[in-house]
This record gives sequence, C-alpha cells and structure tokens, in this order.
Amino acid sequence: MTPPIALVVGPIFFEDAKWQALAPEVTLKEYRKGTREEFISLLKSGTFDGAEAIFRSNESTAVTGPFTEEIVSVLPSTVKYICHSGAGYDNIDVEACTKRGIQVSNTPHCNEDAVADLTIYLMIGALRQITRPNNALRAGKWRGTIVPGHDPQGKILGILGMGGIGSGVAKRAEAFGMKIQYHNRHPLPSTSTTHPSATYVSFDELLSTSDVISLNLALSHGTEHILGAPEFAQMKKGVVIVNTARGGLIDEEAMIRALDEGKVFSVGLDVFENEPHVDARLLGSEKVVISPHIGAATVETMAAMERLVIENIKSALFDGKLLTQVHEQLVKS
Amino acid sequence: MGKPAVLLIGNITHVKKEWEECRSFAELKTFNGKTREEFLKACEDGSYSDVVAINRSNESTALTGPFDQELVSKLPQSVKYICHNGAGYDNIDVPACTSRDIQVSHTPQAVNAATADIAIFLLLGALRRIHVPYTAIRASNWRGPSPQLGYDPQAKLLGVIGMGGIGREVAARARAFGMKIQYYNRSRLSPELEQGAKYVSFEELIKSSDVISLNCSLTKETTGLIGKKEFAAMKKGVIIVNTARGKLIDEQALVDALESGKVFSAGLDVYEEEPKVNEGLLNNPNVVLLPHVGTSTWETQKNMELLVLENLETAVRKGSLVTQVPEQVSKVKL
Repeated sequence: MTPPIALVVGPIFFEDAKWQALAPEVTLKEYRKGTREEFISLLKSGTFDGAEAIFRSNESTAVTGPFTEEIVSVLPSTVKYICHSGAGYDNIDVEACTKRGIQVSNTPHCNEDAVADLTIYLMIGALRQITRPNNALRAGKWRGTIVPGHDPQGKILGILGMGGIGSGVAKRAEAFGMKIQYHNRHPLPSTSTTHPSATYVSFDELLSTSDVISLNLALSHGTEHILGAPEFAQMKKGVVIVNTARGGLIDEEAMIRALDEGKVFSVGLDVFENEPHVDARLLGSEKVVISPHIGAATVETMAAMERLVIENIKSALFDGKLLTQVHEQLVKS
Repeated sequence: MGKPAVLLIGNITHVKKEWEECRSFAELKTFNGKTREEFLKACEDGSYSDVVAINRSNESTALTGPFDQELVSKLPQSVKYICHNGAGYDNIDVPACTSRDIQVSHTPQAVNAATADIAIFLLLGALRRIHVPYTAIRASNWRGPSPQLGYDPQAKLLGVIGMGGIGREVAARARAFGMKIQYYNRSRLSPELEQGAKYVSFEELIKSSDVISLNCSLTKETTGLIGKKEFAAMKKGVIIVNTARGKLIDEQALVDALESGKVFSAGLDVYEEEPKVNEGLLNNPNVVLLPHVGTSTWETQKNMELLVLENLETAVRKGSLVTQVPEQVSKVKL
C-alpha cells in the first residue's frame, strides 16, 4: 500500500525532527516559504495532489495568507485533514472545510499555561499602572510622576470564561490573595476540584462586583462586544480589565471612553479588535499595559503545539480520526 | 512636664488623620528643611531637645542623607527611637544607634506581598524579554521585525536567595506557575515555612537555578553577593530577578553577562546607585526595568505608614517597639 502523503505549509520551528520521523510510513511534502499566489498556483497545477493531511499554523498565514474558501476550494480532493498549530483558528474557513469533507484539528490546551501567565503579568502591570514608571525609567527620568497602584490582595477577580485558561488564571490569582468569581456558559460541577474557592455568579453580578475582570472566553457571534458601553456602566469605579482572549470581545471605543472617564482604572491587553493595527489612544495611554498577541509565544508552548499537530496527523492517517478536532465540527458530526 | 515629642522627617501621605491622632500621646514636630545641613543645625540648636522618637519616612534620605554614624551622633540626647518607613534600612547605621541606646524599627511584613507581586511581574516579563514586543507595539510595529519567543516558568527551577517573608511570598506565587523552588538562607526553615522548597548551598543554588530571585537584605556580608564569579558559575540562559537591593549585584558584571548571553534576561526594581541606572541596562532591550516601585501601592504604602505610627505609639507609651530591627532584638536586653 502506498504511504499516505502529508504536506506541511509554513514553518516548523521546533519539532522538525518529529515531522521528518513520520517518513517513510508517510510521504512528506512541503511548502515552507513562498507566497499565496504561488501556493494557489501550485495547488491548481496538481503539485500537491494525493496529499491527505496538511500541517499548517497561525504562523503559516504569513506565508500563504488565511485558509479561506479561496484556498480550501482548490485543495486536492484527497485532502481529508487540516491539522492546525494554534488554539485560535479563525484564519481557517471551517465551514468551507466541512462542506468539502475536510476535518480540522487545532491545539486547544497547549497554550493554557502561557496565556494564563501573560494574563497575570498584564493584570499586575495594570493594577500598578506600570507603564508610567516603566517609560519614565527608560527615558532617564527614574520614577517620573508615578501614582501608587493597587495590590491584588483581597480584591475580587471576575473570570469570564472558566475554561482551561480561565482555570489557570484563577489558580495563579489565588496565590496573590485574590478572591475568585466566574461566569461561564455553565457552572463547573460542584464536585470540581479545580477551584473549590471560586464562586459561580451571574454575568450582571460579575460586572458589578468584580475589582478585576479577566476575559478568557472564545470569540463567537454570541460574544462579540460582550463588554460594551452598557457593561462598562455596570462595573465598579476603578475596575481593571484584562483581555488575553480576543479583541472583538470588547467594544474598544467604549473601553477608551471608560478609561478617560476614570471608570476603568487601567487595562491589560494582548489582543485588539483590528490586530495588528492598534488604536493610537491605547498606544499612547499610560493607563494601558499592552503586548502584541504573544500569549502563547514561548518556546515550550510552540513546541508542544507542533507535537500535538504531528500526533493529530498520525492519528488521522493511521486511525482515521483526529485527536483534537475543532469544536464546531464535533457538534455537527 | 509636657508630652514627649515625635519628629516627622518627610511626608505623611496616606494616614494624615492617624498622624494627627498621635497628639493624644505626643507633641508632633516636623522637619521642614530640605538639606542635611539644616537638619543637623536643628538637632544642635535645641529645636528637637524634647524629641523622643523620629518618624523616618521613605523619602527622608533625600532630605537628610543617610542616618550614618555622623548624623546619629548629632541627634539630640532625648532621641530613643527611630521608627523607619521601609523594610530595608541599610541607610541607617544600626550599630551607631545601638551604641547610643537608640532603638530602631522598620516595616517588615507590610511590604511582603507587594514586593513579591513585583518580583513575579519581573520574572514573567524577563522570561518573555517583554520589553522588546512592548517597544515594538508602542511604535506601531506590532511584534517588530524579528519577534522572539520567550520561555514558560512551568517546571523551571527558581532559586530564592533569602527565604524571609518576601522570599516565601515569591515562592508561593511561583509555585502557582508550576515552578520548582530551592532556596538559600542563613539557616534552614521549618517544613511548614519551606512548603516543599529544597534547602541548598549558595553554590548549588547559583549553578543549578533557571531563575534566581534576590530577596535578602543588604549588609556588609551581602554587598556584591552576585558578581563575576557567580555569573560564571550560573547556567547559560539564567534569569536574574532583583527586588531587594541593587548593591547585592555587581551591576557591571550583570551587564557583561547579559551581553555575552550568559544571562538571558534580568528583571530589576533596584540598582547600585539609584536613581542612576547603568547605561548598559538602560540600553538593553532584553531586560525589564522598574524604578524601585516594589511597594508602590495605596494599600501597602498606607499599611507601612500605619506600622510606623504603631511603632511610635508603642515606643512612647510602653518603651518598646512592635517591629524592631532583628539585629537589635538579639542584642538589646531590656
């Protein structure tokens, strides 16, 4: 029987040896560098015909652009699996894939620790309004005109989305002496040992009683602008917001207004509505701690994601199923 | 006979009301000058001849200079207590105070959580070399031309030098990030305080830690604790965090170790010659630098000021201190 063919699109940073080790049981093809035009042209001319599984990543988007309908429609008919490196996969048109009978996997849990770590970093930074002294020191002004910040101790952290990342944030925040409350699609079972001390509250209660609000939920039609002007109005004066999930969850205009008015003391953001473009008012604000969507940008996390992609490919090609198929396809099938 | 006087050097920011309430047991005086000369003159001209206790605020060193042998010897005879705002008190010559029968208090515990928070902030930032993406995004360059990946704290070995109140708070937080803890201390702690951390020699800590956090006090013995020899013995790619005192580290040796790549990154809140910072650090994008803001929160600053007032009150009313500096507690026999 001829070995199945797997195609890697874009770079593999850490686990190339594991990819190479798929051979000879799998025939390996690659398109690591290039352009969208060239990639589409090669697809159309049959260069990758026979490929059953594709290894792609968020980083490959810089090479071929997103896997929109345009690309999905010209993938070889043999393609059955797209194994994606990344927890977020909004750069794949999953519906187009499903229509073509292509199953998609992502790497959902690998980034949980890294994103939770960055959430805490941004939270402490925001509580301290750390941008001011950070900038002053680098400009040779020592402390400049700093204003004292706030301790996390004894404060209430409201986690919106108590999934894997939210749980990680809760665990870390507890070590800083914070009290945890959360709102979720469904409360965690009372037998959950993850956070015996975390209290489930309604969305309204989370908004009106939290000192810090951390967004750790997925972006979907139902959660766009989940924090908008009406929500900011309900929050405590001096609240701190942290977002390491998706920019589209927050109405940035409403947030900027709330910052200006002092309703919001400070924010810590790793994601933005129109990445990579960031509103100039956020860039210039000393009440804002920002980073360019680097939640999962660590060596260990990237390597773990790449390993999981390769495991998905093995499982798909030899056992006929993915290990971490994307949520929306599981619900449908 | 009138009430004893308490002298404030510097400002009261968060507890003005409580300071005024001290009038119930003392007359309140304030040093309104701005220089050491003015202070020494006031000590000598009888202005403070009834001062029993001094409220030495955080920023007082900027006004009077350090409370060294010279200054301590010129304090009025009446002075029996110096109540210092700060956990570190290396700018007070304690032996000189002890010889003059002056008892000194500081503000431990109150600073622990806030300092540990900043230590972890610096640790996480250093692991990510966060100043690089920070600079890029602020310059509207998103991640910049050559974004680097950082490292996770999970499963890394954190070496805490100085497992006192602050060191233990750092360890507790680091544990929540999945770090393993080892520590060096003058003496081993009880299991309840260790919480599973491994007690190792200084040499072992230096050569095996992935991250080293300085949480010990600055003394003659610990000055320059981390220098060229120690950097040479460390793991390649080590991360250094210092929220204790700048003089614990030979700053130039740190700069050299950063430049050679021996040290991957450093997270610093303190420097050898504050407020001056070594150019080699200021110009290094791979480090995370803060201007000694460890305890700069409303809540902690208030608690520190309150603890000073508590010490003052106990001193005047009972003749003892609440949080006397440890070296005097063992020496002074009342």
